[in-house]
Amino acid sequence: MSATKSQDVVSIPPPGSDQSDGWKISATSVCGSSHEKLDLPCQDAHFWTVRSDGILLAAVADGAGSAKHSDVGAKIASQAAVETLCTERNLASKLHNKSETFRPILLKALKAALKAVKAEAKARTVKNRDLASTLIVVIATPQLIATAQIGDGAAVASDQKDHLIALTTPDSGEYINQTTFLISPKALATAQLHIWHGSPSHIAIFSDGLQMLALTMPFGKPHQPFFSPLFRFVSNTETGKTEEQLTSFLRSPRVRERTDDDLTLMLVALPDCAHATTSQI
Amino acid sequence: MSEEPGLDEIEFAENPEPRCPCVLLLDTSGSMSGAPIKALNQGLQTFKDALTQDTLASRRVEIAIVTFDSKVNVVQDFVTADQFDPTSLSAGGATIMGTAILKGLDMVQDRKEQYRKNGITYYRPWVFMITDGEPQGESSEIIDQASTRIASEEENKGVAFFAVGVERANMERLKEIAAREPVKLNGLDFSGMFVWLSTSMQRVSHSKVDEQVELPPLGWGTV
Repeated sequence: MSATKSQDVVSIPPPGSDQSDGWKISATSVCGSSHEKLDLPCQDAHFWTVRSDGILLAAVADGAGSAKHSDVGAKIASQAAVETLCTERNLASKLHNKSETFRPILLKALKAALKAVKAEAKARTVKNRDLASTLIVVIATPQLIATAQIGDGAAVASDQKDHLIALTTPDSGEYINQTTFLISPKALATAQLHIWHGSPSHIAIFSDGLQMLALTMPFGKPHQPFFSPLFRFVSNTETGKTEEQLTSFLRSPRVRERTDDDLTLMLVALPDCAHATTSQI
Repeated sequence: MSEEPGLDEIEFAENPEPRCPCVLLLDTSGSMSGAPIKALNQGLQTFKDALTQDTLASRRVEIAIVTFDSKVNVVQDFVTADQFDPTSLSAGGATIMGTAILKGLDMVQDRKEQYRKNGITYYRPWVFMITDGEPQGESSEIIDQASTRIASEEENKGVAFFAVGVERANMERLKEIAAREPVKLNGLDFSGMFVWLSTSMQRVSHSKVDEQVELPPLGWGTV
């Protein structure tokens, strides 16, 4: 399936969450030039929804270049994780009131994603690894952000003072192209699970194609001049207009000359500051 | 209506390109003289041309060349493909392959150390050895040491070591030395081989894997 198709699918919030409750969200996945050259589909996928209680759920998955159906795997993994969290009862109070409950909740989402991917592999009579993808899952409220990550890519937040927080760091081995996938043997045991308590103003979630542009490597420190304009953009641009611009930015020559991988970028402005004009640097 | 904030204000982090090191260990012993060395030299040029057609690969793939005959020479220390200017090689002398293998693996290790020191990310290094014979002119301990080292580096995924035999190369001996199955070059199709190597390096430097990149089919040799 093409990148545009996946966008169409995932931009439609599932039933029961037809309101975004003041959240401003813009997300897109585009095919990298190396994939176009090898005639591969866009193997990145993203999915998000805002629950009826106002909690944002988002996921980004990046299919392994070496896996035949990783585009499908990425789509299924991101969707299954979000949908599982959608049905979690009293999610807000569980996350707010008990310090450690975020772990089992996030693990449940990862397990559901893994189960869905395995079921798909079985249905297609292919190996699990043919659907290999990374997975980043984010649960956000105006008071906290819980994140789970298997593999590379990262999630970054900014607080009300525009300080950037690395919610996760890209997980790669000794080699830059080596990473853990959802179907990898120790994926769940080694998943990064975090909770950050504070007042977030923005969140960005992206696949590894943007890593070298967005983070200072090798330690993965978020690069302020990359994120600040993007966060201002999502806050201040009229909803519905942002995706097209974001897509053309990711397809622009200056991005493409730095990276040839599939790119996914999801930007979130929290309800309180969605309309604020944060013009600080 | 307020002016829309522009995405052209975005500035990128200045990270050094990740590197994909590739050491060529080239047999320049006497038996390579004439047509083989000529074809090899042309092949190196093809390698450069193929890599530099790919902007990212030309900045990511780093090439080093070590020749071996009666001596081991570092003809080219690591340079990115865009800086690579193949010099014409000549042939003559014995075949101290084991010494060259150890040198090549040392160079890889040093290079990784430099990357780490400078905060440069990297891909798994490749060592690509081409010979038309077998080790000659060095002690068997050195050769054993070289093959043990290849085995442990492959086991630890420290490098990927490929051996290519040309014409009368002793394929059985190569099999003992290299952990991977050696490949027999079709005739003197060095160009075909280097195009493949370039394509493989491009794939490696573009892809994400958990273990191994699927390499293009060998059109230039047989396993």
